[in-house]
Amino acid sequence: MPDLKMKILVVDDFSTMRRIVKNLLRQLGYENIEEAEDGAQAYLKLKNGGYGFVVSDWNMPNMDGLELLKKVRSDAELKDIPMLMVTAEAEKEKVITAIQAGVNNYVVKPFTGEILKEKMDKIFERLQAQK
Amino acid sequence: MNDEMEEIILEFITEAEESLDKIEPRFVELEQKGEDSELLNNIFRSMHTIKGAAGFLGFQSIVDVAHAAENIMKRLRDGEIALSKPLMDAILKAIDMLRLLLGHLKEKDGIEENVSPLVQELNIALKSATPKTGNAAQNKEQVVPSSQAPEDFPKPANVVQSTNLQQPSEPTDIPVNSSKTIITSKPDETPVQPKQHGAIQHPVKVCADSSMQPNGSGENDQKSNETQQPSKDTSQKAQNLRVDVNRIDKVMDLAGEVVLVRNRLLNISNYFDFKYTDDPMTEILMESVSFLDRITSDMQLAVMKMRMQPIQKVFSKFPRLVRDISASVNKDVELQIFGEGTEVDKTVIENIGDPMTHILRNSIDHGIESTEERIAKGKSPKGKIVVNTYQKGTQIVIEISDDGKGMDVDKLKRKAIDKGILSEDEAQKMSYEDAIDIIFMPGFSTKEIATELSGRGVGMDVVKTNISLLNGYVEVSTEKNVGTTFKISIPLTLAIIQALMVEVDGAKYAIPLSPIEETLKVAKKDITNITGQNVIVIRDKVCPLFELNSILGIDSNGHGSSDDAEYKYVIVITMGDKKFCLAIDKLVGQEEVVIKALNGLDTTTSYVLGATITGDGKVVFILDVAGMSRNLLGLAKV
Repeated sequence: MPDLKMKILVVDDFSTMRRIVKNLLRQLGYENIEEAEDGAQAYLKLKNGGYGFVVSDWNMPNMDGLELLKKVRSDAELKDIPMLMVTAEAEKEKVITAIQAGVNNYVVKPFTGEILKEKMDKIFERLQAQK
Repeated sequence: MNDEMEEIILEFITEAEESLDKIEPRFVELEQKGEDSELLNNIFRSMHTIKGAAGFLGFQSIVDVAHAAENIMKRLRDGEIALSKPLMDAILKAIDMLRLLLGHLKEKDGIEENVSPLVQELNIALKSATPKTGNAAQNKEQVVPSSQAPEDFPKPANVVQSTNLQQPSEPTDIPVNSSKTIITSKPDETPVQPKQHGAIQHPVKVCADSSMQPNGSGENDQKSNETQQPSKDTSQKAQNLRVDVNRIDKVMDLAGEVVLVRNRLLNISNYFDFKYTDDPMTEILMESVSFLDRITSDMQLAVMKMRMQPIQKVFSKFPRLVRDISASVNKDVELQIFGEGTEVDKTVIENIGDPMTHILRNSIDHGIESTEERIAKGKSPKGKIVVNTYQKGTQIVIEISDDGKGMDVDKLKRKAIDKGILSEDEAQKMSYEDAIDIIFMPGFSTKEIATELSGRGVGMDVVKTNISLLNGYVEVSTEKNVGTTFKISIPLTLAIIQALMVEVDGAKYAIPLSPIEETLKVAKKDITNITGQNVIVIRDKVCPLFELNSILGIDSNGHGSSDDAEYKYVIVITMGDKKFCLAIDKLVGQEEVVIKALNGLDTTTSYVLGATITGDGKVVFILDVAGMSRNLLGLAKV
């Protein structure tokens, strides 16, 4: 099970969406949530350290979710941070690209807290199993 | 609906409207630039984002419309179909509909729009779009329904429910061709808390059905979280907080009251300073009051800044407006906007849109020539309108210039005479500048037949009125076949102004300081009378002089010393290009005044802008010099 105290970064260019995702996370018991407006900002925040999980939107200006993912995975310090990607439609090719780039899971908009929890639990279960 | 939910919805409405504001001008840019993939992607992304958030909030109509528009944008972006006018019109319609839907949400009027005809229209527009390449013949949705997508990849075998939380589950194989990076990921150590268990049992519902936790302190937590961790690299990104305007206005009002009290205290402390100079308490009083004076000014500035917004908010609608208007009159017009980041008071944002729209309409309708006419004149076939905004001292200046045919002063005069607004005689005497100002006269419109655009029952006089309500003024300069420029000047702030206090016939008046160029003491013998108009010569320039008391319609009943004094005090006022002098009895001093509106007062004829309470607790009228300039010089026989 994921640690409720872990610092989570919510990345989305639309502030309403960040707020919605944050609310869902809070309902699940997470309190330590930070925000970033795009991939570039997210990467800088991540570099500051201390994050246990990233929920990122896909389509954003400047640096999109996929670029962020690739950047994180190729960064020695950050490569192990689990990432959940939020997409609007489950486009097969996109999802496969993301998997190949090392995303831990994806979730299709709109989703409920329940679904979010399921996805997160799966990610952490799997990571636990791999240890 | 709990507060949190309501706040999220409000935020959504504002943010979605802002997104639409941003993309609308991009459309017009797109039409000019042709298919620019960055622009297309921008528009796509906005639709996409609005759809995504609306989905969470359960606003199905918005989802449907945004989805249909997004489909078109996606295929345009991916270069599968060619950009065309029908497609563009369809998407602009979708934007209008989204605005309407957001409007209903905002008003909470419960009105439902039937969006299916529009959605259908969008789908048909997409279907009949010209495929760009041969292979783009598939008109079907490219999007695979989520069930067909790689099913929740890395799916552990027995993932029934996350029940056995304590024990790590068996290392399960990942069936999908996932990369090894997943495997190398390391989880956080997580001692499970019983509390969380509860969370599992209570499935959280969609946020749209108001199951959001009424977590009032949540916002604060988030804010403090953010401030605790100022990330050094992100160059201290400005944090925003959305606040109800009424709250800011309340602070503004209170700040105004503080200014008034401060002024009174300043007066009183000056009295004490004079009367009890040696009392040590006087010094302390003076010190405290001067400190109060300083922070009040700072506070005023800070509150004023809170109300300032970039004028972009108004301008973002113009590209579309210009596009639509020029299309309807069959003209080709390009709009260039500069200085849209200039910040102005919220009241200005709210009130400048209409007059500017009117000027733009006027420029396209009357100013810019038809393409054939332009070619014949050797001009570029495409007309150009430039909107430029900048701050000049304490004024915000907005210039709207077109490169059209300019105004024909003789034609203006003739029209005004025909309409009975002007007599032959008046027209004869009229200066060039005054003749141009005819367009601002009520009941004047140059086109014989009022067109759909300019002839909406409002003339340019409304422009002038609206702008003077903002305490500003508008000037026009025009040159035949070169073009016309409208220059609007508006003071930075409207609520609190610096004023010069003057006295006429024993009564005090406040005159806004910004248009005052200088004050002079003029010997009576230096005032000359030319054809019935008093004038004085200031540095070799002749300037008309008016007695303030006669302008205000006050009978000189021997109260003042105006008639027998050797000298007169004169205030020199500059309004745009116009300069005139006001003769008064006494200069009292400079004071910061808070404008209080006076209801039921005809501000156009009384020359009174409002009232204020002075430091000594008296109610004083604030004079409208812009109005004076308009009426005295508009048709003055100078």
